[in-house]
Amino acid sequence: MSFPVLDEHRLAATDAATLRLMNGRTSAWARLDDVEELRERAHSIRMQAIDDLEGHLARFVAALEAAGGTAHVCSTAEEARATVTRICTDAAAKLAAKSKSMLSEEIELNGALEAAGIEVVETDLGEYILQLAGEHPVHIIAPAIEKTAADVAVLLSAVEGEPVEPELEALAQAARKQLRRVFERADVGITGANFAVCDTGSICLVTNEGNGGLVTALPRVHVALLGLERLVPTLDDLAVLIQLLAPSGTGQTLTSYTRLLTGPRRPGEDDGPEEMHVVIVDNGRTGLRRGRYKEMLACIRCGACLNVCPVYRKSGGSAYSPVYSGPMGAVLVPLLRGLEREPGLPHASSLCGACTAACPVKIPLHELLLDLRRDLVGEGIASRRERLAFAIWSMLWSRPILYRLSTAIARAGRPFGALAGPGRTWAQGRTLPALARRRFRDSR
Amino acid sequence: MNDLVETFARNAERAGFVVHRAERPSLPDAGVSRAAYGVAATGSVVLAASPDEPRSRHLLPEVHMSLLREDAIVPDLASLFAVLGGRLPSALAIVTGPSRSADIEQRLVVGVHGPREVHVVLERA
Repeated sequence: MSFPVLDEHRLAATDAATLRLMNGRTSAWARLDDVEELRERAHSIRMQAIDDLEGHLARFVAALEAAGGTAHVCSTAEEARATVTRICTDAAAKLAAKSKSMLSEEIELNGALEAAGIEVVETDLGEYILQLAGEHPVHIIAPAIEKTAADVAVLLSAVEGEPVEPELEALAQAARKQLRRVFERADVGITGANFAVCDTGSICLVTNEGNGGLVTALPRVHVALLGLERLVPTLDDLAVLIQLLAPSGTGQTLTSYTRLLTGPRRPGEDDGPEEMHVVIVDNGRTGLRRGRYKEMLACIRCGACLNVCPVYRKSGGSAYSPVYSGPMGAVLVPLLRGLEREPGLPHASSLCGACTAACPVKIPLHELLLDLRRDLVGEGIASRRERLAFAIWSMLWSRPILYRLSTAIARAGRPFGALAGPGRTWAQGRTLPALARRRFRDSR
Repeated sequence: MNDLVETFARNAERAGFVVHRAERPSLPDAGVSRAAYGVAATGSVVLAASPDEPRSRHLLPEVHMSLLREDAIVPDLASLFAVLGGRLPSALAIVTGPSRSADIEQRLVVGVHGPREVHVVLERA
């Protein structure tokens, strides 16, 4: 596994942005009445749904269909891609406008739609910038965290056919104009869903830019991608979760737009889609429900754990496997894709526990990372070399004579400077402390 | 009651609304919506889609104005959902300020897809 090192500019941008978001969260949490009580309630609301996903799913599907929507339950990414593609081709769609959905990234939807001849345009400003650059999000709520205004100007100028000034206002106006045409022409609007309410059959969509509103108002078909675990029993429960989501994500009290969508346009209404489809995606989620890992399904994708993580802040989202990064990604991705395919991720943490302290729904993230490491060894997934290295180390240091010998050798030379192979790379960028001339045990 | 209105006005201003008392400003290019509710704790206006209120009305123009009756202000989100009582419109928008983004260099810019300027007119009950 390799960890690409960010250049200084990207590192500084990531550092500044995560610091700002982290401070935003701590002050927003301080403004809440009783944040600890709210976190406890949020945790129990999430676990209530996770402990009976089948029951909640059945209630949601019944309510959605009563409101005129259509539910599609897909067990794999492949099935979800095929389902969305079929909905689009059935509607003879040529253009799909998307608002931000990490789940669509997880199931790699855009490629499938393009292969079927459907043009797909991301409309969240950050996602649009990344789509133009041909890159993937590096942060779940601040996807283009590493791009500068100058980078964005180059990308938007290429679309515009004339230079766009690298100033914030000019860039936003250019993007507004370019994307307005997309909203108006699109046949299908594709969104994610922050939550789905079982009682009412509604999906809840939270945005700041308003693109989520336009893609669910203007195109004739709306497809919402919903992670199977995002069900909440009632509107009251939803109120608890949205009171925590924006404060934890951006430090706002609420995002500019919190939208509850309950079925397609009704008789007499001038806009809104004629069809509303909710594509409910499992893709490995039900497999997490056994044992302690089910806590991970409580995640509400706020990004708070990324912003406080010393590993994320110094390495950036591209150091992780797609799609989810930071502590939540380091736990979730191996669980969804299989530990044997992602053996490096549980190690992308110092286990300091900052993520657990920042999690609004109280997921014990650093404990789950430790559990995953235990499983790596227990299931024999850890590499032969790693197991051999630790076996030798354990053999040496559990025998007093060999232990003393090893420290004597260490004292004689510069042990870290002499490391071979990957150890040499590790030692290169570091100034290591000199060892004392006399060992503590010799100083009696 | 009065407290609720004051709390709403304070939080709505904090969220980026221009709040007008009783008097309706002249904004010829503004889209105008009738808000179904206001939420005092968050300073939000609540717009419910209906034959009279298209979903996109609060998003398409650069300037938007919501008309809100003072007796339609509820304390918080939980009380909003309680008064709705499970009867939801096809689209319910809880709007808290102008359209905004911090996607470029984490710097705030308003009016990205929706309005850059949002007004709320409080009407005496």
